[in-house]
Amino acid sequence: MATDDGADVVVVGTGVVGCLIAEQALDAGLSVLMLEAGPRVDRWRIVENYRNLPPGIRLFHWDAPYPPKPWAPHLETRREKESEQYLQLEGPNARAYLQGYVRYAGGATWHWAGICWRLTPEDMRLKSLYGVGRDWPFGHDVIEPYYSRAEYALGVCGPSDPAQQWPPNVKRSKPYPMGPTPFGAGEHRLTEAASKIGLMNIHAPQARNSGVSYDGRPPCCGNNNCFPVCPIAAKYDAATALPKIEAKGGRILANAVVYRIETGERKTIEAVHYFDPDKGSHRVTGKIFVIACNGIETPKLLLFSKDDRNPNGIANSSDQVGRNMMDQPKLITDIEMTEPLWTGVGPVQSSSIMNTTQGEFRSNYAGALFRMENFARSSLGAAAALKKGLVGKALDKEIRRISACTARLTVEHEPLPWPNNRLTLSSKKDWLGISKPNIYYDVSDYVRRSAKEYTVPLLHKLADGLGATSFKLSPEFLNSDHIMGGCIMGTDPTTSVVDPDCRAHDHHNLFLPGGGAMPSGTASNSTLTMTALALKAADAIVDQLRHG
Amino acid sequence: MDERKQHAPISPGVTERTKLARYRDDCPTAFSLDRRELLLTGLSLVGGLAGVPTLPATAAPPSWSQQSAAQFMEISSLLIPHRLNEEVGKRMGAAMSALNPSLSEQVTALLSIAKNKNARIVEEFFPDVPAGPLKDTALAIISAWYLGVVSDAPDAEVFAYEYALMYGPTKDVMTIPSYAISGPNGWTAEAPPLDSMPEF
Repeated sequence: MATDDGADVVVVGTGVVGCLIAEQALDAGLSVLMLEAGPRVDRWRIVENYRNLPPGIRLFHWDAPYPPKPWAPHLETRREKESEQYLQLEGPNARAYLQGYVRYAGGATWHWAGICWRLTPEDMRLKSLYGVGRDWPFGHDVIEPYYSRAEYALGVCGPSDPAQQWPPNVKRSKPYPMGPTPFGAGEHRLTEAASKIGLMNIHAPQARNSGVSYDGRPPCCGNNNCFPVCPIAAKYDAATALPKIEAKGGRILANAVVYRIETGERKTIEAVHYFDPDKGSHRVTGKIFVIACNGIETPKLLLFSKDDRNPNGIANSSDQVGRNMMDQPKLITDIEMTEPLWTGVGPVQSSSIMNTTQGEFRSNYAGALFRMENFARSSLGAAAALKKGLVGKALDKEIRRISACTARLTVEHEPLPWPNNRLTLSSKKDWLGISKPNIYYDVSDYVRRSAKEYTVPLLHKLADGLGATSFKLSPEFLNSDHIMGGCIMGTDPTTSVVDPDCRAHDHHNLFLPGGGAMPSGTASNSTLTMTALALKAADAIVDQLRHG
Repeated sequence: MDERKQHAPISPGVTERTKLARYRDDCPTAFSLDRRELLLTGLSLVGGLAGVPTLPATAAPPSWSQQSAAQFMEISSLLIPHRLNEEVGKRMGAAMSALNPSLSEQVTALLSIAKNKNARIVEEFFPDVPAGPLKDTALAIISAWYLGVVSDAPDAEVFAYEYALMYGPTKDVMTIPSYAISGPNGWTAEAPPLDSMPEF
């Protein structure tokens, strides 16, 4: 049995990756102790926080319903000054790494969109096929069964018609557990306009209960606020895994901030140390340690834990910990049209154009995903109409017109792993005295060239196809909150941090699963791939403890 | 009263810190399950608690009377051709007057402009409202009812969300986020005509 002082498997971080590993370890008869830096909070509290945000904040500040505890800071953006508090960002594209994750029990899946794309076989062979980036150390055939397991673990809905599936022309070993959610009017309009210029807007597979209950959670009823929180848990979030883990005998300590990974002789991890909110320190031992705190917090902890045996940080003989930081640099355009489009029906994201992510051109510039945002635009329409000083019937009419006849199109570009896109320890410390993360980020010419020659011209074409009368492109690249690369995977310990099971090359009993392990970012949302890697790591962990 | 002392007595040997390191209840006292249990056992509490916890009233300045509040509702109804929630109006009016000490007089002035025109709807008297503080206040009142806040500060108090009028003009299609109007996959791609207007 796990105690507060130790267990067979110690998991740092209670996000989707940590929770799936914890549950599989428990099912295999191992004891599990989970340490979460932040608080444990009920869903109703988040929904109340959200509803009580002023309209200017409510729509786009997805971390605002999750006020951080002093001991577990994360990004806050209500006031401009706040966004400089925790993440120390520099470089020509610092703005594109303003990552919104949540240090709460349940992690960032509290406020994710729920989108679950699989990688294509080509996505995993960028070096061999296009001469850029890195190859994965295994092929699509190896990850495919893990994708299926991930889809059943999260409850992913998607199309059963192969012509509508992604990746195209790759056989799935199992169907999606649920069929796709219906499109609203806006998504239909976009699909038509896209097809006229040879683009396919397809149903996005999403971790959302479609039409039926799944795993004890209700089906989606179109609350249209998937971010920042699903009020009914129809969207998967890891917070729903926590009671199951406890029911199976797992122990979860919230408000426990791990600040040091302790190594022993022969490169084993002996323990982790955490602070409680009173700044008291506690030591936790285990046989296997899983650090799954997300792609920023995990490398930060590894570097901060440096000791005499590991002067460059834990698991860092390759000097790759914290390097190769990736995310999909994003551009958004707000358009106004003569005819209505109508967002705000169903989930906030339900489809994307994916065929633009693939092709020979990737040897030269980045592939990219396009989509329309489906959040209700009513509050934006109201703010704009009120600013015009309208009253009475004219005000209502203009609110309706602007809400219906405007839209936001998004393009997310694939990143490459550049060693200089790097997380290091800032000289600034947080409330507990732990170094804040410092990240240098440059999206690189690979992405800039894509925007100039490929994606922005396509955005214009798409907007024209929708009958846009105005087009307002964001002046700089933005974050997509898909943090990848900081603990990169490979077979060569001199150039990678973890092996194909996300086990640290340097420490046999340390696992670093998650986005940080991904050798290619691609243009698609990373969570399903992270989840597949979590299950693969879980297999390895169980195997290792059973057979040594 | 220290909330923590209302929990079950701590047994010897289990330290306060160990207890706090477990699942910590983050909900505010007004909604505490412990307090609900006390209510059910019939214990009376200092200050009393009705079945529905009420939010603390915003402190209005002494110049804001019940008559001011009534006049605020009256001008609001003239400025806005929709159903207005009186509870929301009470709190919002008080909050607006705390930010704008001249609100009471301005409301009186706006009402007399409306009365001079025998106005029943806003279009009938709004052109006569002079530009400057009076017009600004009239627009601010409209804005408050539509947006549910009386200032654009990032931590402004929210007086109405579900009842904020901004959602009215599109409520035949667009969900008020977190207030689903549908059932499982119960929405369609049907788009109503732009020139129809829901009633609200």
